[in-house]
Amino acid sequence: MKHNILLAFSFAKRDFKERYVGTGLGQLWYILSPIITIFIYTVIFSDFMKMKLNIIDNSYAYSIYLVPGLLAWTAFSTILMRLSTSFLEKANLIKKINVPMYTFQLSIVITEFFLFLLSIALGIIFLYLVKQPVTLTFLWMIPVMILQTIFVFGLGVILSLFTPFFKDLKEAVPIVVQLWFWMTPVIYMKEMLATKYPMLLVINPFYYFVEIYQDIFVFSKAPSLYSLAVITIMAFVTLAVAGLLYKKMIGTIKDII
Amino acid sequence: MKKVLEVKNITKIYKIYKNNFDRLKEVFTKKNYHKEFISNKNISFDLYEAETLGIIGVNGAGKSTILKMIAGVVVPSSGEILRHGRVTALLELGTGFNDQMNGYDNIYLNGTLIGMTNKEIDSKIEDIMAFSELGDYIYEPIMTYSSGMSMRLAFSIAIFSEPQILIVDEALAVGDAHFAAKCTKALRERKERNMSIIYVSHDLNSLKLLCDRVILLNHGEVTQMGEPEDVINSYNFLIAKLNDSEEKITIKNTDTNSFGTFDVEVVNAEILGSNSNSNVISAGENAILKLELHSNIGIEHLNIGILIRDKFGQDIFGTTTKNMGLEYKLHKDTKYQISFKFTLNIGAGKYSISTALAIGENHLDTCLHWLDNAAGFEVAGNYATEFIGLSKLYPTLSDLEIIDDK
Repeated sequence: MKHNILLAFSFAKRDFKERYVGTGLGQLWYILSPIITIFIYTVIFSDFMKMKLNIIDNSYAYSIYLVPGLLAWTAFSTILMRLSTSFLEKANLIKKINVPMYTFQLSIVITEFFLFLLSIALGIIFLYLVKQPVTLTFLWMIPVMILQTIFVFGLGVILSLFTPFFKDLKEAVPIVVQLWFWMTPVIYMKEMLATKYPMLLVINPFYYFVEIYQDIFVFSKAPSLYSLAVITIMAFVTLAVAGLLYKKMIGTIKDII
Repeated sequence: MKKVLEVKNITKIYKIYKNNFDRLKEVFTKKNYHKEFISNKNISFDLYEAETLGIIGVNGAGKSTILKMIAGVVVPSSGEILRHGRVTALLELGTGFNDQMNGYDNIYLNGTLIGMTNKEIDSKIEDIMAFSELGDYIYEPIMTYSSGMSMRLAFSIAIFSEPQILIVDEALAVGDAHFAAKCTKALRERKERNMSIIYVSHDLNSLKLLCDRVILLNHGEVTQMGEPEDVINSYNFLIAKLNDSEEKITIKNTDTNSFGTFDVEVVNAEILGSNSNSNVISAGENAILKLELHSNIGIEHLNIGILIRDKFGQDIFGTTTKNMGLEYKLHKDTKYQISFKFTLNIGAGKYSISTALAIGENHLDTCLHWLDNAAGFEVAGNYATEFIGLSKLYPTLSDLEIIDDK
């Protein structure tokens, strides 16, 4: 077990080192893509379209609201989609070498978590540039990001266990993920949903995370105990369910991939 | 001796479902939705330190499945496998290589996958590259490699990972003779350092050379386990039975390679080793070649000839009964049988037997029936003293004497 977890870290390290081998800009791409995301939403929404939010006194208020949600969603959806097809991708390997599948899945999560940290760090630099206060409250980001990653790890593993049985899932997951994005107040404000479909905010597990990030970025507001409790329970219950299902199904999966 | 592997009552049943949904339902409910295919049935054996164990069986006997279960990539339906030490398996070619990456990086990738630490690989990478003999190709992507090259790399990594148990599944068959010999040597060296090997091959010679013990699998069950010589003989018997059902009638049909007046015909030819009881025979074993003749006319002075050829069509040995001073008188419409008994002092390989019936010195005078490929056999393994080459001679040795030059 310990060996396999260490192995996952070494895979993640290698994955991280080798992803952009052969490209001209090399590892610069890791920071380039979040920078471009941030840039697009600042320049386009705040400078060109003059979208204004009057919740705080900053001409970049809308961008400040957007950035954490977008970056968190990128990390969330990337992990979910990469995990859901992981069995099909690694089928060749696990049929021949006795390395448990969760090692590969864990390595995906580790790499993506690191990239998530990196992008949020860039987001905080952006805040500094647009003169939005960065306070100690921002330290709350770290545990919440970890919990988000644990939650999506569990969810992704559960999905990945069913994809070998239903190959359709591979096609369906990206579509559902897109729908999920638009049902979460990331681009728009939560009030727009709260009046018409308040249930959507309650049943959307990802919203519990996003709301915390947005409150920290926009208002420097620490998360409430209630929301922390909700995400902690969600993360660990999902992980436990994933573990149980994994144990039950892995033997059968090895027979069919 | 220390046990390094204990296989206890392993059974593997593949369940066959109408669709994957049924399969999934069965994981969570107690209802039955499947038909069963038994791949391995109640297999038990132990593997000891420094032992080489061979596994043979006809295609579909369950060899690969049992290897995969030992390697841990397939989960047995019931039973238990206890491994004491690192198990490395060369199951199929290019095990765990990333095609896009070059050979050098793949050594690290593959090495960590089979359980080596980065430090271990650092210290062995020079040896691995040297052993694989890939030269500068090591810096090219794996997808440009030939199958032989990726096998060489896979084998080199496997052998330098110093496993306690190495599983080799016909992988050696891909390499050229030079590399195969090098592998065999490397395997022997590791064996002296207590490595155990499980070896699966259809090459009976290398099985006899390498293995201390052989298991014969048939229809997923262990039918025999013991000395390589004995087990391989039973295997040959099994193969011969399979062949029998298909090949009995071939002689009648092969018009192309027979000619003559057909006044007397060879209707059947069969060669059997006295111990193996099949047409796979050890060098130095006694063999009986049985011919069945049918005469359409009465004839005097029949000369019967046989000719053994190797796979290149080269004549290895031929003789006629007339050479031995015998000619035969045959009545009309009668079946006859004659046996040639000899010690097969020829080297390993595949051979064919041609037969000739003639009147006079040889088939050029009056040929009654010349038949190519009347029977075939294989020489595998060896009785008593080892030798190489095409023929087994029996030299006697003088004493070693000091030469007095004065």
